[in-house]
Amino acid sequence: MFASSWLILLFPLLGFIGLSWYGNRISRNLVGLVGCGTVGASFFMSLVTLSNLLFLPDEERVGHVQVLYQWISAGSFKLNLAILVDPLSVFMFLIVTGVGFVIHVYSLGYMHDDPEYSRFFAYLNLFIFSMLVLVAAADFFFLIVGWALVGLASYLLIGFWREKPSAVLAARKAFVMNVIGDVGMVIAALVIFESFGTLNFIDVFSAAPGAFRPNDDTILLITLLLLVGAFAKSAQLPLHTWLPDAMEGPTPVSALIHAATMVTAGVYLIARCHVLYELAPFTMYFIAGVGIITAVFAGSMALVQYDIKRVIAYSTMSQLGYMFLAMGIGVYSMGMFHLMTHAFFKALLFMAAGSVIHSLDGEQDIRNMGGLKKVMPITHATFLIGALALAGFPLTSGFFSKEAIIMSSYYADMGNIIFWVVAILAAGMTAFYIFRVYFYTFFGDLRNSQAHPHESPMIMIVPLLVLAGLALFGGVLAPWVDSFLAPVFGYTVVHHHDTVLETIAVIAGIGGIATAGLLYLVSKDRLSLFKEAIAPLYDLLFNKFYVDEIYDFLIVRPTKAIGAFLEQKGEREGIDFAVDKVAAQVKETSHIISLWQSGKVRAYALNMIVGVVTILMFVVFM
Amino acid sequence: MGQEFVLLISASIFCVGTVGFIIRKNPLIMFMSVELMLNSVNFLLISYSSFLNSLDGQIFALFIMTVAAAEVVVGLAIILTIFRTRHDMDVDHIDVLKG
Amino acid sequence: MLEIATVFDFTLNAVIFVIGVTAVLASLGVVLCSSPIYCALYLIGHMICLALLFLLYNAEFLAVVQIIVYAGAVMILFLFIIALLGGKKEVQENSFHRSMAITFVLILLGELYLSATVGPTQQIKGEIPVELFGTAKAIGLELFSKHIVAFELASGLLLVAAVGVICLAKFSFAPLRRRVK
Repeated sequence: MFASSWLILLFPLLGFIGLSWYGNRISRNLVGLVGCGTVGASFFMSLVTLSNLLFLPDEERVGHVQVLYQWISAGSFKLNLAILVDPLSVFMFLIVTGVGFVIHVYSLGYMHDDPEYSRFFAYLNLFIFSMLVLVAAADFFFLIVGWALVGLASYLLIGFWREKPSAVLAARKAFVMNVIGDVGMVIAALVIFESFGTLNFIDVFSAAPGAFRPNDDTILLITLLLLVGAFAKSAQLPLHTWLPDAMEGPTPVSALIHAATMVTAGVYLIARCHVLYELAPFTMYFIAGVGIITAVFAGSMALVQYDIKRVIAYSTMSQLGYMFLAMGIGVYSMGMFHLMTHAFFKALLFMAAGSVIHSLDGEQDIRNMGGLKKVMPITHATFLIGALALAGFPLTSGFFSKEAIIMSSYYADMGNIIFWVVAILAAGMTAFYIFRVYFYTFFGDLRNSQAHPHESPMIMIVPLLVLAGLALFGGVLAPWVDSFLAPVFGYTVVHHHDTVLETIAVIAGIGGIATAGLLYLVSKDRLSLFKEAIAPLYDLLFNKFYVDEIYDFLIVRPTKAIGAFLEQKGEREGIDFAVDKVAAQVKETSHIISLWQSGKVRAYALNMIVGVVTILMFVVFM
Repeated sequence: MGQEFVLLISASIFCVGTVGFIIRKNPLIMFMSVELMLNSVNFLLISYSSFLNSLDGQIFALFIMTVAAAEVVVGLAIILTIFRTRHDMDVDHIDVLKG
Repeated sequence: MLEIATVFDFTLNAVIFVIGVTAVLASLGVVLCSSPIYCALYLIGHMICLALLFLLYNAEFLAVVQIIVYAGAVMILFLFIIALLGGKKEVQENSFHRSMAITFVLILLGELYLSATVGPTQQIKGEIPVELFGTAKAIGLELFSKHIVAFELASGLLLVAAVGVICLAKFSFAPLRRRVK
């Protein structure tokens, strides 16, 4: 029934291979057509799969494993090239290919003048393919394959402008952080294989409830190791430092990686393995705690940054924190819904910011922007919609998803008042920082006299409008998402309604907006006064809590010191010394032996006779 | 005469040729020594061809003669060329390959 | 009373013995003479002795080839080169190298002799008629039927040798210089 689902993965792969091999030989238009067309076709196939799925009754929608080929069969261990088709993976297919397609189209305009157009689209296709492998995997093995492929593709994309040293460094940082996560995943997979004898999702999840009591040591180990991977990929504390730096890549990359796809992999992982996590309530609390702390932590850092993309990047971390909170308190479908709306409005924000950056010739500092409201009306409108959705303004998509999570953080079985208070705090911050950027960018006067801003071309505007529509009206999908994902998670989440708490949440959001307006729109004096009043805190936030410096001090410097020590003692005075000595001895000895090599024919003939005599000794006497 | 005598004669000539090749410095005489060795082998082949009543040995000897003739011609040409460039007839002085 | 056959055998053996010893002595003369001209003459004598031995061992065609090709053409070539380069006498000193060479070759001779103690060899009967053995006809039949490929290869070898000699003689080479240490 779902045999054609393979095409979803196949199209981007073909696009990647084709563009890598022939990208430099075909015209730019054709490159763009292939790059977008493959993802578009993949999106279409996802829709076909969705419609197939919707024809089935609810209880038959889960557990369709499409086996293409048996790869390894060693004793009891079997590894199939298979994909899993169920509501969760189809949901992810739709987000990845749908938002990915829109971003591809946007890239046509954004990267139009880049000399390495085809390489960019090849990488984008590779990225989409990797992400699809990740979400389509039917066992932990291919999950890790996809996981690592996504890391590779993100490395290539972040470091796309390879002549920029900062971009290369950022790519390396992202890769290293992701590899830390990969290691956790691999160990987790090994422990799972040790415990269950299989890596297959369906077998593991059906065996797990009978195999472990809640909070068993092994299940805690598995879930926490999986979490290492999830935290690294989704930039949760303390493995978050790569995400802001990754803004060195082109803006469509930021939109693709950091809004729609890669960073959500961690959320998807927890949703996929929710059976395991439900057996480990401790881990669930841990996830919720880290999620909510990350939400506040990242939000506070976003308050003071001046790089427009960095602010949005921190906001991504913060929103991911919300998703992890939702996962931690067990309202998976709400987390997945927030993942979807976040993909819409965050991709929208990134792309609108990209539009601004594009028109200002690469300027990313919001202090050099301003007054763009009149020059770029459509970008302004779409950014405003994205900002409202992010701030959770009533009736936008962000309102429905975030509000649901905030309400559940109090009312759900595992929720409590502390989660709720912190979540409200983070929501207020979110509204503040995104509107700070908004006012900085679009109001006032242009602070850079050299720039000549202009509205972006149609090919960039249309994707913005599409996403703006989704960000604005995506909220109506909330009940459908809940019911669609219910077969996977086994139950339908309850939406709680409490007028007081809802009002407080809305007020927090609007209050944040108002504060930003008061500080940045009305008067500059008040801003500087306020800054002076909280100077130490401001410095702390501006320097991102010094996390990079702490890592530098705790990990990088000792490693370097050990390396330098080993280089001197181990390599120079150990290995190199020994090798040099051996070489010198060989040289000396061979110099002596080479005297034998007199160059005289007669001496050689004598040597030969001696050899013949010696060999004949054996013939004669033996 | 018996086979032992043939073998002895042949081995003696071969050894004399070997000694000549090693102890003489004149390349022409070294070549003559090589001819001695080849001839000793030829003699052995032919005599055994007779002992075994098979012509293969004689055919082999014929080919050895062919090769020897070619070798002598080329070798003498090389000696001539060396002499033309170095004006020296001592093989010990040709040691460019010295290690 | 001696029978005719026995007398004939004895005479034949005596002749072979004398010629063989002469060949060895002639080869010693090649190696030990100081002057290249004498060496070449000794070598001619050695080759004539060998040609006689070939004749005695039923190889009349090869005996003739030995005389014409070796003692004739090749030795003329040697003499010609000696005349061209000047037959300087060579000073033969008793060096370590020389004594080492003689010692080892004597050991080699001893070893060869020790390993040469073979039993009587069985004749392969009836392959070739006795009256034809070693004649030009028999050799020709063998050569052009059984060994035709080797024969063609040998002709190629001779051609290559001829071309090589022409190249060596025709083009002059720059003098080789000793490598500077």
